[in-house]
Amino acid sequence: MNRRDFLAGCSALATASMLRSPAEAFAQEPPPDVSLTIAPLELEIAPGKTIHTIAYNGLVPGPLIRWPLGKPITIDVLNQTNDPEIVHWHGLWIPSNTDGAMEEGSPMIPSRGRQRYSFTPNPAGFRWYHTHTYAGHNLKKAAYTGQFGCFYIEPKEDAGSYDQEIFLTLHDWNGYMGGGGDASMDVSYDYATINGKMLGSDEPIRVKEGQRVLFHVLNASATLMHWLACSGHAMQVIAMDGNPVPIQESVKAIRLAPAERIDVTVEMKRPGVWILGETRDDFRKAGMGIVIEYSGQQGEPRWVAPPESQWDYSQFARPGKSTEPDVRIPLVFRSKFTGHGDFDHWMINGKSFPKTDTIALQQGKRHRLVMRNESTDDHPVHLHRHTFEVTNLDGVAISGLMKDVLVVKAKSTAEVDFIASNPGMTLFHCHQQSHMDFGFMMLFRYA
Amino acid sequence: MSAVVSANFLVFCLFLTVKPLAAQDNYEIQVYGAETVAPKTTMLELHSNFTVDGSKPLPGSQYTTDGTYPTNHALHETVEITQGLTSWSEVGFYIFTSSRSGQGVQWVGDHIRPRVRVPDSWHWPVGVSLSTEIGYQRRDFSTDTWTWEIRPIVDKQIGRWYFALNPAFERSFHGESVSHGVEFSPNAKISYDFTKVITGGLEYYASFGRLGDFYSFHDQQQQFFPAIDLNVSPNWEINFGVGIGPTASTDHLILKAIIGRRFDWSGHHEHGSSLSTQ
Repeated sequence: MNRRDFLAGCSALATASMLRSPAEAFAQEPPPDVSLTIAPLELEIAPGKTIHTIAYNGLVPGPLIRWPLGKPITIDVLNQTNDPEIVHWHGLWIPSNTDGAMEEGSPMIPSRGRQRYSFTPNPAGFRWYHTHTYAGHNLKKAAYTGQFGCFYIEPKEDAGSYDQEIFLTLHDWNGYMGGGGDASMDVSYDYATINGKMLGSDEPIRVKEGQRVLFHVLNASATLMHWLACSGHAMQVIAMDGNPVPIQESVKAIRLAPAERIDVTVEMKRPGVWILGETRDDFRKAGMGIVIEYSGQQGEPRWVAPPESQWDYSQFARPGKSTEPDVRIPLVFRSKFTGHGDFDHWMINGKSFPKTDTIALQQGKRHRLVMRNESTDDHPVHLHRHTFEVTNLDGVAISGLMKDVLVVKAKSTAEVDFIASNPGMTLFHCHQQSHMDFGFMMLFRYA
Repeated sequence: MSAVVSANFLVFCLFLTVKPLAAQDNYEIQVYGAETVAPKTTMLELHSNFTVDGSKPLPGSQYTTDGTYPTNHALHETVEITQGLTSWSEVGFYIFTSSRSGQGVQWVGDHIRPRVRVPDSWHWPVGVSLSTEIGYQRRDFSTDTWTWEIRPIVDKQIGRWYFALNPAFERSFHGESVSHGVEFSPNAKISYDFTKVITGGLEYYASFGRLGDFYSFHDQQQQFFPAIDLNVSPNWEINFGVGIGPTASTDHLILKAIIGRRFDWSGHHEHGSSLSTQ
C-alpha cells in the first residue's frame, strides 16, 4: 500500500458518509463567512501563455482570507472537479478532523460535493491554505496546480509600522520529470510566476520613495526552493512562517522552501523601476519576478543581482540552548533508489508511509524531534497543527525561532521542539510533493 | 607465384573482406543518448579500445587485405571534446589515434559532430536528438578517408530500465565505398540500474551495408558489448565493455573503456546558495 492506495480507501469511506446532497446538507445551515469553489481554470500567466490548472474561485492565488484572531470562521468548499479534494489550513492550531489532511481523519470532499470547515483561527500571523492530495507521477495534480491561497490571521494588536502591505505567492508550472542533481529524477518546470503572473505580465507594485512596504511572501511551489531579492533593496526579515523572529536581520536575499513563508519590510529609498525576482537567472527568465515601480519613474525594469549568499536560519534565532525536552524522538531520513528514470522513494526510520511508525505523544509534554537527514536531498519538513521551536542546526544550539516548516539540509541534522497541546492525529511530512507522495510522511497520535 | 596470379589473389581477398562503411569503427564505441551537454559546459572523454582479436596483416606485409593497418592487438585512443552551446545543442570534436607494436602512436583522423535535440519544453515522451558527423581518417586506417554520418537518436528511461536506439546512416565521400551510396549502421542499447551507481546492459553495433541492398550476414559488421556504466557523480562518465563480433567482417573481441569528465564554466556556486541551481 502506498499513499495513493491509503487515500483511495479513505476517500471511499468519506464519500459513503456524505450521501446527502450538498443542497440537503447545507439548507439548514447559516451562510458561510467564506466560500471557495475548486474548479478547472485556464490561467493566463503571460500574454499567449495559458496554463490549464485547478484553482480556488477562478483565481491564482486563491482569495486572501484575512480574519481576526480568535473569531470563529466558517468556510464552505465546493469541489467542481472530477476528483476528490481536500483543503489544508496550513499553520493553524485546529482539530484533526478540520485540518484538511485525510491521513489525520479530515474527510475528503467528493467530486461535485461540498465541505464545511468551521474553526477558530489561531495563532495570529501569515498562514495559508492549499490542497493536500496525492499527485504521484501526475504533475498536473495536487500542489502542482493553482490550489493555494494566503490566510492572514490578524493579531489583536497590530502596530502596522508600514505604508503598504503586499502578499506575494511563488509557484512553478508545467512540471515534467527531469534529471536530478543526484542522478534520480526530479521535477523541472517550464514557467514560474509571482501571484500567478510571469515577470512583466502583472501590474507593477507601485511605491513612493521613503515608503516602508511589508511583503508577506509564500513559496507555494510543489517542489522547488526559491530565492528572492529586490534589486539592491535590503529586506528586513520580521517573521518566518507567520511567527515573529527573535532577531530581525536585514538581508540581500531571502530563501523559501516549499510551504515556507517569510515576512519582510523593505525601505523604498532607491527611486527607479526595479525587479523583485528570483536571484537565479534561469528562474527569473522562466517568469519569477515582479516589477517595483517608484512614483514618477519610468523605463525598463532593472535587475541588480545580490552577492551570492547562503541561507542561515540561525541568524534570526537567539544563540544558545532552549528548554530541555521531556521526550526525544529520533527520526532518520533516507532515500530508496528506484531507478534513474523515477523518483526516489523515502523512508523515515527505515519505513515508508503508510508503513511508518505512528509515534505516541504525551499531552502537555515538550517533545524534541531529533532529525538526521542521511539523504542527498534537502527536505522542508512540516508538522501539522503545531508550531515548533528550532533548537539545533547541525550541532549548534539555538532558540526562539518558531516555525512550522524547516529545511533539513542534505547530510545534516536538525532538532525542533513542540508542546503536545493539540490532541488528535498529527501529520509530519516533507512538503516536497514528490517526496510526500513517495513515502516521506508519518503520523503522531496522542497517547 | 606469378604477378598475375598474385594480383588475382589480392582481388579475391578484397572481395572476401569487403567491409561496410563504418565511420567510427572501433575508435568510438558508444551508443548515444539523446541528452546534450549543457551550455557553458565541456565534456572531455577518452575512449580506449583494445582489439584482442582483430584483422591481421597479410603474410610478409604490414597491411591487411584492404590496405589498412591491422586492428589485431591495436590500442585505439580517441579524445572527444564536446561543448554545450545551448540547452538543446552541442558540438563535438574527435581526435583518433592508434598504437600497435612496431608502429608507435599514430594520428588516425579527426571528426566534428554537431548535434541538436528536442528541448525539454516540448515534453516529448522520449528523448530525441539528431547528430551529424563529418571527418577525415588516413587511408592507412580506413578504406574511406572522408565520411559523413547522420544519426537520429531516440532514448527513454523508465524506472530502472534504459533504452536507446541510434539508426545511423553513413556515406563516403572519398574511398572505396563512395559507390555504395548511403549505408545503414544501427546501434542500440538496453540497460538496467542494479544500484544507484552500477548500471549493466547490452550494447549493439552493426553496419548492414548499403540501403536497399544489405550485405549478407557474413559480410555485415555485428558487435555485441555487454557493458557496465558507473554513475559515481554527475560530473563523471565511466563505461566499460567487452565486445564480441560474430561475423567475418567484424573484429572478434574488443575491450572498451570510456572515461568522461564534465567541466562547468558557468562559475562555481556553493551548493544551495542564492546562485546555485543544485
